[in-house]
Amino acid sequence: MAEQPQSVSVNIDGAKISVPKGTLLVEAAKLVQKEIPVYCYHPKLGPAGLCRICLVEIEGMPKLQIACNTPVTDGMVVHTYNDKVNAGRRAVLEFFLLNHPLDCPICDKGGECDLQDFSMAYGQGASRLAEPKVSKPKAVDLGPTIVLDEERCIVCQRCVRFDDIITGERSLIVKDRGYRDIIATATDDPYRSNFSGNVTELCPVGALTSKTYRFKSRPWDLHRTTTTCTQCAVGCQMQVDERVGEVARTMSIPDDDAVSDGWLCDRGRYNIGFYRDERRLQTPLYRVDGQWTQVGWDDAFALWAKALREAVASGGEQSVGVLGGGRLLNEEAYLLQHLFRSLGVRNLDWRAGTQRQATPGSNAGSLQDLENAQAIVLVGESPAQLAPVMDLRIRKAVSRHRAKLIRVGAIDPLPVVACTTLESAAEVPKALPAGAERVALVWDGVDPKLAREVVAALSDFSGLKTFIASGQNNARGAEVMGMHPAFGPGFAEVDGGKDFSGMVAAARSHSLRALSIFGANPALHYPDGVAIREALRNVPFLAVADLFLTETAQAANLVLPACGGFEKTGTTVNVTAVALPVNAALEPPEGALTDLEMLGCLARALEVQLPSVTELENSVIKHLVATAPSFGLGDAKVCGTTQFGQASRTGGPKLIARTDIFSGGGTVAHDGRIESLRPLPEAAVSPACAQQLGLSTGDCCDLRSGDQTMHDLLVEVRPGLADDVVVVVAGLPDDPANALGFEPVAELINVRRARELAPVGVSP
Amino acid sequence: MARMHKSLYNVGALLKGLATTFGFMFVRRPTIEYPSVKKQHAPRFHGLHELRRYADAKERCIGCELCAVACPANAITVIGAENTPQDRRSPGERYAARYEIDELRCIFCGMCEEACPTDAIVLTPRFEMAGLRRGAFVYAKDRLLVPPTEGVGTAPDERPNGIPSDLGRVAEIKSTTDVQTGYDATNRGTILKKQRKGLAG
Ligand code: SF4
Ligand code: SF4
Ligand code: SF4
Ligand code: SF4
Ligand code: FES
Repeated sequence: MAEQPQSVSVNIDGAKISVPKGTLLVEAAKLVQKEIPVYCYHPKLGPAGLCRICLVEIEGMPKLQIACNTPVTDGMVVHTYNDKVNAGRRAVLEFFLLNHPLDCPICDKGGECDLQDFSMAYGQGASRLAEPKVSKPKAVDLGPTIVLDEERCIVCQRCVRFDDIITGERSLIVKDRGYRDIIATATDDPYRSNFSGNVTELCPVGALTSKTYRFKSRPWDLHRTTTTCTQCAVGCQMQVDERVGEVARTMSIPDDDAVSDGWLCDRGRYNIGFYRDERRLQTPLYRVDGQWTQVGWDDAFALWAKALREAVASGGEQSVGVLGGGRLLNEEAYLLQHLFRSLGVRNLDWRAGTQRQATPGSNAGSLQDLENAQAIVLVGESPAQLAPVMDLRIRKAVSRHRAKLIRVGAIDPLPVVACTTLESAAEVPKALPAGAERVALVWDGVDPKLAREVVAALSDFSGLKTFIASGQNNARGAEVMGMHPAFGPGFAEVDGGKDFSGMVAAARSHSLRALSIFGANPALHYPDGVAIREALRNVPFLAVADLFLTETAQAANLVLPACGGFEKTGTTVNVTAVALPVNAALEPPEGALTDLEMLGCLARALEVQLPSVTELENSVIKHLVATAPSFGLGDAKVCGTTQFGQASRTGGPKLIARTDIFSGGGTVAHDGRIESLRPLPEAAVSPACAQQLGLSTGDCCDLRSGDQTMHDLLVEVRPGLADDVVVVVAGLPDDPANALGFEPVAELINVRRARELAPVGVSP
Repeated sequence: MARMHKSLYNVGALLKGLATTFGFMFVRRPTIEYPSVKKQHAPRFHGLHELRRYADAKERCIGCELCAVACPANAITVIGAENTPQDRRSPGERYAARYEIDELRCIFCGMCEEACPTDAIVLTPRFEMAGLRRGAFVYAKDRLLVPPTEGVGTAPDERPNGIPSDLGRVAEIKSTTDVQTGYDATNRGTILKKQRKGLAG
């Protein structure tokens, strides 16, 4: 099997090099630092042979050959730059420019455009065309994120191939032929994809541009910082381009094969407008008699420290709770637990939502394991909306490496790639392809019982690799840094405290006296909205550190303006335990502090000794490299006894809340640039269920459970759902899915037919 | 004897100097009574900038930032934005939402004028820009752009030799309806073909 690949030697412009057989000439040339111009070729998309700009001369061949689709052969002698080659490229470029509008001054690509660069390098300066150019529509709205300039397109089909090969969604096509050809969607619907932004980067010219970046800047104005995306646990490496104190755009890092595979999802790419939103908190707020008062930071820390001391004095250490870490950096999470554990507090947790576990423990796999798996078992929600770029690996495994995709306990729409949906864990081994050795299990971390069952069913597979896809970017870091009721840093066992649902219960019974929340919005994400609202109301002192006055912060006594991911420096741990650097790309607004600074000041106010910066860094590194913990998926100690998502199935369909990459009450809700991407509140039902209830897509309904109601949900009939569930989108601030309380059984009421309704716009 | 010679020499120098002084009494005075009399500048004098308009009052500037990148003094800041059908400032898709020149930084070299693809920014012969605060020298669109009521801008007429980068294009584009615009995308090629075939355009 593991045969040494045969190598061949080739001479490129006089440089001899030996490469594995089958290497494309364009790749071999890179190894000897010879640049061959390309448009349609892309290392991740492969050759297409459409544009012919990559012409080279190969000795012994009468005509120029394309380097992108010619594998090297032994003894090949190649010239990448001589008069003959340049004449060929000049001719190709003349054709490209025949109808090209040459509106570089107003083109967003101007300055980093391959057509500009290659025209300068190989073009002939003036066109010989005397006829008027063909003109086509400009600024065509391709979808909610992308604008297409049809005149500029050189039909390299990179966008079309990305949509086919990488995402598998296949909505883009080349329409018409000849000089009339344009890029469009096959159905003429808007181009919608969670990965749409990548096409703007792939497009070698300025035909596809991002709506959020249009005319914001020119490439030479941008200050570039390489950092890690902090929107989900994949931790894609990205470049943040800043201009005049604002994030103009973010770009992927094409050779980041280890983590992002060179792609970004639209949440990571486009959810950047919130940093300069005017609703951002700029000063600590203290609530006196129901009125917000601005206070200085010194007073805020004094108030906070006093409240914590009083709570400890009156109710003991167990009456103090801390929630946070999943959205903090490792350093901050470490300091957070250190500070509160120094006070004797044991109620620490990062789990603000339904996810119970973030560290897979034993059998943890890498993203490469996921890509090379022969079978992938999704347990619970798929990573498509939780950790989107991880889903691209799964699609790659299925579509290119022929892995089999199986899902158990599914709640979300059918995946783009072929998939088998199973009812129970016991069916999993039978559904695996015969002879499968490398099996990957991707769990959403919600239902420990189901995870344990699937792991037990797969116990025969020694090659089993497990993954937990977290929506919170540093959930895993928070766990290993000790923001967990049962574990200290490095999973050292400590005296157990209450987990967050324990804290909620304590707050409802008035035994929790102070709660501090860092970068979490449980009011929107805790599954039982009724309980959490009561709990937040009942806690005598609630401090919330966040960027915005979120639903949780609105219930607080003290609100502290914090910094976002592009405004701080530190490390995070991604979904496969890779430690990633976060570098500040932006100045935080005046008046906001990072959580690290906040914790330092709070420690001073509480007279707690904190480790020095070096000590802190050393402990973080020590725990990051500590050997993997020995527990498995759904471990009772890690997950605790709380279990969400178990319904008593009576009295109507069971309500399930699924994630959407553009749901949430913080960064997405406060980003004006992506308003149109936020999902509409929907109620999805299976076709059978729809038929039984007489519903069809586009209808409008309310959901009721007990005395709580969710209003005006759009009905969506979705194949692949169970017949006894209704799926709503979680985390929509205007229509929170947790409003109906804990594990409700919902009733669809007040159905209005689509035709009776006024047409629904994307957003008001 | 030596002393005598020296003093005679000094008298000679004195007379020479006085001759120069008196000689200037009969030459035309170079000093001008500045506020009431103004100097005639060389034809290509570079003074205060102006942002011009088209005849239909649309802004010429398309916010492309080429002037800003050409400027050796880093004096120009341009931030572009998109025209909408409801609010169309310039032909095409893009216009300058913010356009600022720090005239204290500017060395009046005219590179911006040369870089501009639409002849929007020009240097006029105007040179009077006194101010009491440094900030007052950051000229934004409110002071740079020709008011819509004042035609295309005064610069070409004030400059006897015209604007070097004009090359006759100003005369060519009479109004922005000549310029292909972003939103009303007509197929120019098809129209021309029809016209050639004798069909209605
Ligand atoms: S839109 Fe861009 S990426 Fe797509 S075919 Fe045209 S030039 Fe290529
Ligand atoms: S997949 Fe996650 S880490 Fe990657 S760009 Fe999207 S939100 Fe950011
Ligand atoms: S005249 Fe020269 S220095 Fe002044 S703004 Fe123009 S390019 Fe810059
Ligand atoms: S003045 Fe000219 S060069 Fe400067 S931004 Fe406007 S159009 Fe571009
Ligand atoms: S890059 Fe080789 S044909 Fe396009």
